[in-house]
Amino acid sequence: MTTLTEATGEAAARETPARRRRRRVDHLPYLLLLPCLAIIAVLLLWPLGQVVWMSFHKLDSVRQLRGDREWPWVGLANYAQILGDPFFRTVLRNTVLFALANVALTMILGTLVGLLLNRLGKKMATFVASCVMLAWATPALTGTIVWKWIFDDTSGLVTWLFNKLPDGLSTALFGRSDWTGYGWFNDPLMFFAILTLVVVWHSFPFIAVSVLAGLKSVPTELQEAARVDGAGPWKVFWSVTFPVLRPVFGILVVLSTIWDFKVFTQQFVLAGGTQDRSTFMLSIYSYAEAFSPPPKYGLGSAIAVILTVILLVVTALYVRMVLRQEDE
Amino acid sequence: MNRWKRLAPVTAIVASAALVLTACGGSGDDDKAADNSKLTVWMMGEGGDAQTKFLDSVEAEFKKKHPETDVVVQYIPWLEAPKKFQAALAGGEGPDVTELGNTETQGWAAQEALADVSDKFNGWSEGKDILPDLVKNAQLDGKQYGVPWYAGVRAVYYRTDWFAEAGVKPPTNWDEMVAAAKAVQAKKPGTYGIALPGNSELPFYSFLWGAGAEIATKDGDSWKSGYNTPEAQKAVKFWTDLVTVHKVAPPAAAGWNEVDARTQFATGKAAMAFAGSWQGGAMKKDNPDIEKVWGTFPIPGPDGKPAPAFAGGSDIAIWKDSERAALAWDYMTVLLSKQKDKEFASSLGFFPVYQDLVSSGDYANDKVMAAFATAIQNTKLTPLTPKWVEVSRTKTVTQAMNSSVIKGQKTVEKATADAATEMESILNAK
Repeated sequence: MTTLTEATGEAAARETPARRRRRRVDHLPYLLLLPCLAIIAVLLLWPLGQVVWMSFHKLDSVRQLRGDREWPWVGLANYAQILGDPFFRTVLRNTVLFALANVALTMILGTLVGLLLNRLGKKMATFVASCVMLAWATPALTGTIVWKWIFDDTSGLVTWLFNKLPDGLSTALFGRSDWTGYGWFNDPLMFFAILTLVVVWHSFPFIAVSVLAGLKSVPTELQEAARVDGAGPWKVFWSVTFPVLRPVFGILVVLSTIWDFKVFTQQFVLAGGTQDRSTFMLSIYSYAEAFSPPPKYGLGSAIAVILTVILLVVTALYVRMVLRQEDE
Repeated sequence: MNRWKRLAPVTAIVASAALVLTACGGSGDDDKAADNSKLTVWMMGEGGDAQTKFLDSVEAEFKKKHPETDVVVQYIPWLEAPKKFQAALAGGEGPDVTELGNTETQGWAAQEALADVSDKFNGWSEGKDILPDLVKNAQLDGKQYGVPWYAGVRAVYYRTDWFAEAGVKPPTNWDEMVAAAKAVQAKKPGTYGIALPGNSELPFYSFLWGAGAEIATKDGDSWKSGYNTPEAQKAVKFWTDLVTVHKVAPPAAAGWNEVDARTQFATGKAAMAFAGSWQGGAMKKDNPDIEKVWGTFPIPGPDGKPAPAFAGGSDIAIWKDSERAALAWDYMTVLLSKQKDKEFASSLGFFPVYQDLVSSGDYANDKVMAAFATAIQNTKLTPLTPKWVEVSRTKTVTQAMNSSVIKGQKTVEKATADAATEMESILNAK
């Protein structure tokens, strides 16, 4: 903080009186940001630093957290242990593939719904937007519990629907006609498919509404002109709408990536806790290592740091890409 | 306009100061003095009128000796307990006395959450009659960290009406069990012969021990898993065959825990389920009529003898950070006295922990409790090491082994070998 003031002081000294006066007014935004920064520092930066610090120690007793016991420094041993564990590769693969699939599906579905909303009349658009926003407004925990019931193996809606299929058709397609007692979450692939459904359902409304907001700012003349020139909807989207909304899509992809990399609630509820290790992803892996007895806070912190670093790298790449496209 | 611009920074500073001050507020608790006016007791579960009334009577008795102390009871849901304990331990504000599941006592003792009560326990005459397996289960490195409060074992609940319709009797060995399940399932289409808790370990251990295998044995300094023995493989094969070969339980059973499974039984979808005597109340809540048509029998071994059962239950311990350990112990001796113990255990459907009370005729002649009274005569424990909780709860080695066979991901040989390797690497980790 002190270096910052010194630096601005020096800069100010070199400037002409007229510019200095303008400079003084420019302090205002920083002052207004101060309360926010202070809160972020206390609630976010401090714990973040703490997690990084913890990841370099062997912490397996709650008493160490309290300061009753020493924190033995282990350097990078926690990281070495995680990265050397073949299980980490499974977890990383799960996380990356899941995030890729979910970002793609969320973006596609969200954009389609956004385009639809843009074309609908006022009343219908309000109706559809409200319905869509309900999914966004449902708390992750509540929503996921309902989804879990929908896939219940005895009384779930999906089980009931599949049981309603004509026996011959069901047997021909899936090799079974009685679905009561079918374990929907047994197979990891099936588990991830349901998890994807739940996560996409939760997150596409935000994309849809953001895309809609972007579309509203695009002058309709552009699209009309393209249409008059004989472009189909596909062509109009890729040649007119998408280039104009590119910054919006950039931001949305970054946000979705961050959200989908750290999905926790939905997975925790659907899997019924931390039992199903074959479907672990980084966030639940970190949680399970840190807090399941016996606790391993150091190891859990190291996994959390790895997850954060991956996210930072992904985000940095995207931001660079978006900025470069802006320059073109 | 100009005046506003000049005022703005002031406003910003005042606002930020106010925000920071409010954010820092609310941490003014400073009552450190070890006063004896209050004894905090944590109890597991949801409580209920019966338990409140019982604990009130314990407090009244305790107050005869300590009239100045109020007992404050707080209920902690079972699943919340580990988080609550960690938070209490990290923050330094815990209870004085706490109940805890007897599979968790060693783990929390290793975390230095519980006080060593060896001397107090050894000097307490009634404690000598407590079932030795339960006492051992609350020890770590030869020191006593908890005192058993009540005990429970699992048995099989079955539908007496369906068994009668199918013309089968309660089975006494494995083959009869499969035959009975098949017979009932044939008679009652759309139901399962056995509600198998494929994702639970404790009922399975009865089959493992019944087949003559051990979970793990200590050889000098290192643990050796018993899972890669032919006996263990026989048990895993029987357990998983119920789904894959005999089809008396559905594939979804791979993900069922004990509550899922017993709900199938309570709601009339299964003919048999593994459950403890204390779970009868929950089943009656699901379906009040189930009581009229249920019976129990001990989990059979392969050869006709009842299989050993896991000695489950609850311990009472003194929180290590408590500054009122002597007071806490006085409360415990009232709570755990033979007379109070019998009173309370019976009201919950558990057994008291005292040898002489368990073997009394009261239980052997009860229609439902008789099977449990037989089972509790022959109990076994999971490996006595604080690392066991990682095998059991975190890595769920046994559950994963059984599930992977039920789901068809591994053969019995591969699953047992993998589980043995993983178990040994956890138990022998430095």
